[in-house]
Amino acid sequence: MTDPSAATPEGRSVIHDLGYRPYTGPRLGQGAIARSLVGTGLRNAFGLGRSGRSKVLPFALLALNLLPAVIVAGVMVLVGLDSLPIGYAEYASTTQVLVGVFVAAQAPVLFSRDLRHGTIALYLARPLGSGTYALARWVSLLGATLVFLVLPVLVLYGAALLSELDVAEQTRDVAVALGLVVLLALSLAGVAGLVASWSTRRGFAVVATIALLLIANGIVTAVQGIAGAEGRPRIGEVTGLFSPYSLYRGLMSAWTGVEAPTPPASTGMELAYVAVLVGLSAACLGALVLRYRRVATS
Amino acid sequence: MSSVQPVVRVEGLTKDYGPVLALDSLTLDIGEGTTGLVGANGAGKSTLLKILLGLVPATSGRAEVLGHDVEEEGPQVRATVGYLPEHDCLPPDVSASDFVVHLAMMSGLPRLAARERAAEVLRHVGLAEERYRPMGGYSTGMKQKAKLAQALAHDPRLVLLDEPTNGLDPAARDEMLGLVRRIGHDFGIAVIVTSHLLGELERVSDHVVVLDAGRLLRASRTDEFLDATGTLLVEVLGEDAQGRMATALATAGIGVRERGSALSVDLTGSGPDVRDVVRDAASDLGLGLVRMQADHRHLEDVFAEQPSDGRPADHAEEVPRD
Repeated sequence: MTDPSAATPEGRSVIHDLGYRPYTGPRLGQGAIARSLVGTGLRNAFGLGRSGRSKVLPFALLALNLLPAVIVAGVMVLVGLDSLPIGYAEYASTTQVLVGVFVAAQAPVLFSRDLRHGTIALYLARPLGSGTYALARWVSLLGATLVFLVLPVLVLYGAALLSELDVAEQTRDVAVALGLVVLLALSLAGVAGLVASWSTRRGFAVVATIALLLIANGIVTAVQGIAGAEGRPRIGEVTGLFSPYSLYRGLMSAWTGVEAPTPPASTGMELAYVAVLVGLSAACLGALVLRYRRVATS
Repeated sequence: MSSVQPVVRVEGLTKDYGPVLALDSLTLDIGEGTTGLVGANGAGKSTLLKILLGLVPATSGRAEVLGHDVEEEGPQVRATVGYLPEHDCLPPDVSASDFVVHLAMMSGLPRLAARERAAEVLRHVGLAEERYRPMGGYSTGMKQKAKLAQALAHDPRLVLLDEPTNGLDPAARDEMLGLVRRIGHDFGIAVIVTSHLLGELERVSDHVVVLDAGRLLRASRTDEFLDATGTLLVEVLGEDAQGRMATALATAGIGVRERGSALSVDLTGSGPDVRDVVRDAASDLGLGLVRMQADHRHLEDVFAEQPSDGRPADHAEEVPRD
């Protein structure tokens, strides 16, 4: 048996037989830590890595959201239609309630939970700064929202290709739809994330986000409908700036030709729609970063 | 300790929250081993810990942790420091195992290493099978262990433990104090531990730092706080043992007074060694001498002597720069 007192070359006695081994392996930088946080957040947003119960809602919503696309794809392939019965971009507009509920329900998983249970203190005591933390959480939510929005588009695209529709045309339409969907996801993740970061109670965050997204959209749609019927589309155009969904719908109508009430009629207005969507997302993200800076120093 | 860099070095640190001056020109070095941080609520303990973690900027002055300036190198500081907050911080629907793995990764460990470390620290803090259960069902003692495990997950060089025994029953408190002691002495990790129970710090810390209204009241080795008081505690058995012994010692010209079941014997007088006198007296009187030991004070006694008006005591000038 070796002499424990000679455990090191210097002969210093270091063996306590307590089994505590210091960690000598690599320590990753902030980029890798942030990527890991984004990955975990993305999984958590779908209930993965959490209790079985928390998987029910996100996957139920995802299944509901995919169901029409799968049915359409089945019909396309079996019956052999010569065009898709629903446009790629139009799909998200049709299932906007599901998207809204998904974002509203899952944003608190990423934002409210850490604040409510005080876990945020443990994150802030680690290398990531508060701003990077907020950014990583937002990226997780954005990713989850994109998965939700992009999957049906891909299912429809697959069906279109299987039905031997024109590949170039379909690919171009899908690209436009993906651009639109990214704009929508950016703003939805921003709004829902910001609301959730101000609420430690999940229920409040869910209700507030749904109210903001869906009720605002309802009001805007009503005003647009009246403006269109009264022959004053300009009012409808401007009103469309006040909700992410109406912004999406307006741009979709302008870019894909799908009919929508009072779409932006000029290039200037289209740019304004894009600017508001991007600006809203940036403003929400900035507010999120500020919010977590305050949490860190309070 | 004198040759190595202090773990924490604080110079003229002031934190002014406007209506409250949380820290007032605090200057202090903290070395390896376990350091107890004492002070009433609002004394500035939590503010100091937050500044040391680089979360809250100081109004003036500077602080270094493990050689890193906390304001400029916050991420480096936080990569090598573990923190156990006072309040609840555990999500109820996650198991301790998953949670500690995740937080180890948040400190920069690769996934595989994080898994190994989590299993190891959970074993060290004594969470066995329950580590796979959601933490919402844990007792307070188990929660504190899980909190401690996450603070150790990335093998920090310093851990900041904010009231780790808060809310624990006596058995769980003893276990937690044992763990704190092991971290400081056996794991080789420097510990700064706050508590408002002085008796606890007496048991686990090598050094004690006393804060009062944001100022340093005293910083010294725990055993200096507990210096022998110059008296001897003597306990004897037999018929009217204490009374007869007291009379015998008084006759020999030695100051003596009763203290509980024992006698407090003055050691400061000149003449023959008091211990010899006590031994001989017990022998002559036919009494059983069951205890004879130097009378140490408790930390509480030390605080009872501190000025109550909040002025720093003279000791503050003699902060050991060791």
